[in-house]
Amino acid sequence: MTANRPLVPQGPQLVAPPSRRLVYGSLALAWLATLLPWPGGMLWLVPDFTLVILCYWLIHAPHAAGQGLALVLGLLADAALGGLIGQQGLAYSVTAFLVVQLRRRLENFEVSGRALQLLPIFLGQQALVLLIGLAFDLPDADWRHLAAGLVAALCWLPLAHLFDRLTGWSNEMFIEPAAR
Amino acid sequence: MAHAPMFARAIGPTVRLAMYGLACLALMVVDSRYGALNAVRSSVAALVHPVQAALARPFDLLGDAAEFFSQHAELVREKRRMAAEGERLAALLQDRQELEAENTRLRALLDLPPTAGTVAVAARITRILPDPFARRLVIDRGSADGIEPGRPVVDAAGLLGQVTAVYPDSSVVTLLTSSEQAAPVLNLRNGLRLIVSGTGADSLLEVRYLDMHADLKADDVLVTSGLDGVYPPGLQVARVLSVEPPRQTPFARAICQPAAEIGQHRHVLVLKAKKEEPTP
Repeated sequence: MTANRPLVPQGPQLVAPPSRRLVYGSLALAWLATLLPWPGGMLWLVPDFTLVILCYWLIHAPHAAGQGLALVLGLLADAALGGLIGQQGLAYSVTAFLVVQLRRRLENFEVSGRALQLLPIFLGQQALVLLIGLAFDLPDADWRHLAAGLVAALCWLPLAHLFDRLTGWSNEMFIEPAAR
Repeated sequence: MAHAPMFARAIGPTVRLAMYGLACLALMVVDSRYGALNAVRSSVAALVHPVQAALARPFDLLGDAAEFFSQHAELVREKRRMAAEGERLAALLQDRQELEAENTRLRALLDLPPTAGTVAVAARITRILPDPFARRLVIDRGSADGIEPGRPVVDAAGLLGQVTAVYPDSSVVTLLTSSEQAAPVLNLRNGLRLIVSGTGADSLLEVRYLDMHADLKADDVLVTSGLDGVYPPGLQVARVLSVEPPRQTPFARAICQPAAEIGQHRHVLVLKAKKEEPTP
């Protein structure tokens, strides 16, 4: 890794920020992926792809994705699940708030570093959904679903690499070697 | 503005979170206490379920293709087994027809009203809902096919659950293994009436609050008693695995294995009420 880092974004990141079409298109695809007929025995392992990709755009495309979009996507997830309306909405809003707060910090990490920092957020999102269910007297909370948070952080690795490639994002900055 | 702006012209992230959080809390309260959002849920489901069914289609075709290339010998064996099974069932059915006729005669003799029959509607499972709170399936038959909420759902081996939500072209089935579900049953060996409930585990049912002197043993077969008016009598529900003696409570508890082969079939049967023929 080079220690040379520019202070402002360079190259495609500065010239062309990720287009809205890419942002909303990828989110729509992710939402469809959560609707796929996953085998029943491993449902508790299936991560929330929409949330993973939403977190990516919250960090890398703040002009297109914010907390309002998170709320809308959370309510959509509720609708697709047919459960308590507002449950995922609240969990998504809290997640988006945390990611927005950590945005500047997350930007400076490698893909794997970002995954490690997002892991507690993904786990917290799953835990929040389960706790809301318990608070509203839904029967039978299945705590195995916490594992989906872990899998979401693992899914972050290939997805973030893919989108870094698509948007031309790089966290390597260039510092003039004159300082030496 | 998603991040904290340098000069506060937009609403800050914290205030946004508070607003959205309160809105979601209000939605959840309205939904769970008053059921006011059921109309919204059913209209969204009417939009989402066709998309799901379309997404499930290629995977079904893939499964069918895999079956198409399965071994010839296996198919021949399967065919022989099916033929034997068919003969056995036909023999049983003859017996059953005779018994049914006799039953009707005896009922007429005793002046008892005829029992309400049911019609089976076959349905395909399009999706298993990834819900940590209940075990639910989506099937591809809805109110257009005459499905009503509360109808029992069975597979080839026994009772699977109950229809809990009906949309125009799809419905949601809650499995008996969900922990809030229960079915009135009787022990086939001695007619003892019990209530079987789900445990939240995929392959276990239980009889809670069982009288400690009740005559229930391992390998007893439990069938629906029909006392609740929801499940018709005589559907296989479970086989008793073990009876736990009471510990620190006045009640015993029986662990049972569901008769239905949960998670093994792509098709289920919904038992519809038989339409009364209008008498001229």
